[in-house]
Amino acid sequence: MFTLVIGGSASGKSEYAEGLVLASPHRPRYYIATMEPFDGEGRARVAKHRAMRAEKDFETVERYTGLASVRLPRRGAALLECVGNLAANELYSPGGAGEAGAFSAIVDGVGALLSQCGDLIVVSNEVFTGGDRYAGETQHYLRLVAEVNRALARRADRVCEVVCGLPQYYKGAAG
Amino acid sequence: MIFITGPLYSGKRDYACRLLGCGVEELEKRVVWDVQEQAAGCPDLEALADALARYKVVIATEVGGGVVPVGREERAAREAAGRLSVLLARRAERVVRVFCGLPMELK
Repeated sequence: MFTLVIGGSASGKSEYAEGLVLASPHRPRYYIATMEPFDGEGRARVAKHRAMRAEKDFETVERYTGLASVRLPRRGAALLECVGNLAANELYSPGGAGEAGAFSAIVDGVGALLSQCGDLIVVSNEVFTGGDRYAGETQHYLRLVAEVNRALARRADRVCEVVCGLPQYYKGAAG
Repeated sequence: MIFITGPLYSGKRDYACRLLGCGVEELEKRVVWDVQEQAAGCPDLEALADALARYKVVIATEVGGGVVPVGREERAAREAAGRLSVLLARRAERVVRVFCGLPMELK
């Protein structure tokens, strides 16, 4: 089952998504982390989250770009977090696919993950109600995240928006 | 009139095409979109809403989230956009919010 979980910052989307993985009958649990640490603070944050997830029996796989080349050793449950980071990485990282290839890199990458797990939960970001007057670069980024969200929503079995920690289902149902 | 709203780039026009069973090129004749831009600086939002309600489908992008803009003009435009959406929803027989391409009936 493929679930797309979307929410604003601090909406409780990560916690909800993690709960979906914990409730999945599939094991092992993989966490696909996409945030590239750029300094000591970032590295400390990553180390802390990695330790927290290890307690919950997650294996962390770090992947900043080129999701399609991820190989999960066994068919378990995977949590990918998050599309917003991946989009920025594909657009702006030296190893990224750039503007022309970013959409396919992410959407095909998610497709490749899907074929390797029993349950896949993808976390994405709701950043689209803050106005429509953005400068060029931000607009490219927003358009990419929106197009990825829509493509994933078409493919997903379930799509929900998390508001105040509560999932609102647009497609499929909770439980 | 059917009022379609939703976040930026959420697939509102695609949904209107599906609703009307037409292609994007035909949309222009039957549908008006980005009406939030018409709200900016409009002296009479009620009259604007009345005029827009003659279309089969009216589409507005939600722009009221996020921080209140610092600039006076932008702040007023955002306020007017939100107000216009309320007036349109009142006149509509059906209101749909499109989120990631997925419609949710609000009215």
